[in-house]
Amino acid sequence: MIWHIVKKQLLVFWRNPQQLLLILGLPIILIAILGASLGGLMEGEPISIDAKVAFIEHGDEQTQVDMFLDEIKNNKLPQEAVNAISSSAKEMMPISILKKDILGSDDLKNIIDLEIVKPSKKDDVLKNKEYAAVIEVPENFTYKTLKSIYLENGSKGELQVYKNEGNQLGSNIVTGILQQYQEQLSLTTFAGKQGIASEALQVDPDAIIGETVAINQKKPVSAKNYYAVGMAVMNVLFIASTIGSIAFLEKRTHVFNRVLLADVSRWIYFIGIFISGTIIGFLHLSLVFGVAWLVFGVTWPNLFGCLVVTLGLAIAVGGLSVLLTAICFRLNSEMITNFFGSIVVTLCAFLGGSFFPIGDLSKAIQVAGNFTPNGAAMTAYLSIMRGDNISAVMDQIAFLFIFAAVLITVAAISFPKRGQII
Amino acid sequence: MLELVNLSKKFKHLYAVKNLNMFIEKGEIVGLLGPNGAGKSTAITMLSSLVEPTTGDVRFKNKSILKSPGPIRRVIGMVPQEIALYNDLSAEENLQFFGRIYRLKGNDLKQKIDEILELIGLADRRKDIVKKFSGGMKRRLNIGVALLHNPELIIMDEPTVGIDPQSRNYILETVKRLNEEKQMTVIYTSHYMEEVEFLCDRIYIMDQGNLIASGTKEEIKRILSAEKTIIVKADRLNNTFIDSLKQNPTINRVTVENKTVTIIVPKEINIFQTVLKLAEEAKLELNSVDIKTPTLEDVFLHLTGRALRD
Ligand SMILES: Nc1ncnc2c1ncn2[C@@H]1O[C@H](COP(=O)(O)OP(=O)(O)OP(=O)(O)O)[C@@H](O)[C@H]1O
Ligand SMILES: [Mg+2]
Repeated sequence: MIWHIVKKQLLVFWRNPQQLLLILGLPIILIAILGASLGGLMEGEPISIDAKVAFIEHGDEQTQVDMFLDEIKNNKLPQEAVNAISSSAKEMMPISILKKDILGSDDLKNIIDLEIVKPSKKDDVLKNKEYAAVIEVPENFTYKTLKSIYLENGSKGELQVYKNEGNQLGSNIVTGILQQYQEQLSLTTFAGKQGIASEALQVDPDAIIGETVAINQKKPVSAKNYYAVGMAVMNVLFIASTIGSIAFLEKRTHVFNRVLLADVSRWIYFIGIFISGTIIGFLHLSLVFGVAWLVFGVTWPNLFGCLVVTLGLAIAVGGLSVLLTAICFRLNSEMITNFFGSIVVTLCAFLGGSFFPIGDLSKAIQVAGNFTPNGAAMTAYLSIMRGDNISAVMDQIAFLFIFAAVLITVAAISFPKRGQII
Repeated sequence: MLELVNLSKKFKHLYAVKNLNMFIEKGEIVGLLGPNGAGKSTAITMLSSLVEPTTGDVRFKNKSILKSPGPIRRVIGMVPQEIALYNDLSAEENLQFFGRIYRLKGNDLKQKIDEILELIGLADRRKDIVKKFSGGMKRRLNIGVALLHNPELIIMDEPTVGIDPQSRNYILETVKRLNEEKQMTVIYTSHYMEEVEFLCDRIYIMDQGNLIASGTKEEIKRILSAEKTIIVKADRLNNTFIDSLKQNPTINRVTVENKTVTIIVPKEINIFQTVLKLAEEAKLELNSVDIKTPTLEDVFLHLTGRALRD
């Protein structure tokens, strides 16, 4: 039964050539126009991130290591333990590792421009907008850290990071690196406490560098790719308003009454609308991406990932369709679909970054954008385009599913009860 | 078979239907008559279980349909007043879709579609999109869709509006045939008296939400048996004549429409001479004076003081 309703919905959709042309043709034209006109801004160039990072260190690390070694000699530890610690601790300078082996490594050199700054210059550096981030090593960081690792005494030091909100990408990269670094340090502490391995600091610079480079030097996204995604995720939202209009037309022309009189539950119809929205949304996205591939050469490094995101977005469109339908039926007016099709879609497209990467402007907009179905899908698509795999976009996919579930629930609640549909 | 008990529907402050009592027996053709806004369509949507009444009950085969509308839904065929079709689908696709939701399939459905297309005279237009049909063709398909599942009870809400006389006769004949051959019960709504007179065994007359008369055709016409109707025609009607008619104490009612004056008088009064005399006094040349046997139209006029179609 549901299938007959879905099939008929597809057929009605198919018989509306103007609608069809608008929904399919528009994104393709827009991809061509935007991709070509804004090509210079994004085309081809690998993203060249050049994050200037200031590094402020209070106190001398070697002095702190010596201080620590002195202290264990005066401790009541067994001689072998003292020997083991002192022989390994000589190579343990967490700050030097961070400074030289990680941030200063050859691989990160073209991403991060590290500058050692005297503590006295801290205020100047913080005021200077050129720096993407400022890392500050507090007094006795190394001493505290070693003590906490080997002697289980006190807490380990904390690095201070000042982010420049104006340079999201750069500061995000630095925080990402430091987070991993701190995590690895904690792991060492933990391992030491468990007595599993107390011989070496468990920081692995290569792992951190590898990941940072992998994330930030992925396949760059060209303007055409960017707008293929941006226009597809925007235009697919129009499917929801179209489905809502078609459904409302069924009510207005009393065809819906015929369906009810055939003793078909209104929930069957409801599910039919959801499935139609999902299927048409999925077909729409596939077609737009298909054409983008054939005409503009927009390809996907991970087709499966693209497919999963498409499915998530299609389900969100299904949810939107059924919600709009329910509201139309409830208010006995088509107004809401028009409002959605004009204002809501534009706003969502704007926030979601369909027109330009608006998220780079401010964190707040980025967050808001990711709470729109198109924005979440766009983030996921772009991430997959850069070569990430599905696990990196799980948050967005989960969001799309939850979004759909919430909408379906609201729609079910607002759908008119039996005998109330006039 | 079907019984409406004190059925009322209130929209905001307006009673579209007020305390309506009706019954329909199996195999009957029942007419529901009334002018625009009488509440006919509202009554029909309630008895078909689409809309819940404000108060009252609808009983189908002795069970209320308010809580379980399933049994009546499965056996009624509804021809709504509006064309309820998919404009973008062809005649055949419409029939296919509605047939499927009535759970017909395969060969049965195919045969049924052929049969109905034949019946409504659209067999050669089956592949055409409904949008391109004429109004009358849409009407016929609108009826056809309601017949797909061999309904026991068919409800027709002004099914012949906007149809040429030929197709209209054909539809009326078809309804009568379905009733005679398949014992289909029919509820037929109209403001065309001729249709209801031709088709129906029993008639309900509604006005402004109220039932104002009911019974067999004969019973209803008997309401007028104490009176008779005289139709006077004149090209140049004047007010002197009409006023003098209105002032005449033996005349019950006078209505004027174009060049026609309708006069209702008690049966025993011989008004013929009076009319001629009044016309002469008013210097009016009469075209004709007829004494009419009462029609349902007259009944309505009698009951409400208004013509059915105005
Ligand atoms: N959904 C509604 N909301 C408010 N008022 C309504 C609604 N449906 C009908 N009415 C009112 O109820 C009254 C009866 O309408 P209804 O459609 O039942 O008349 P009808 O006898 O079918 O007239 P017609 O011959 O014109 O079809 C009218 O006054 C109409 O305005
Ligand atoms: Mg009506």
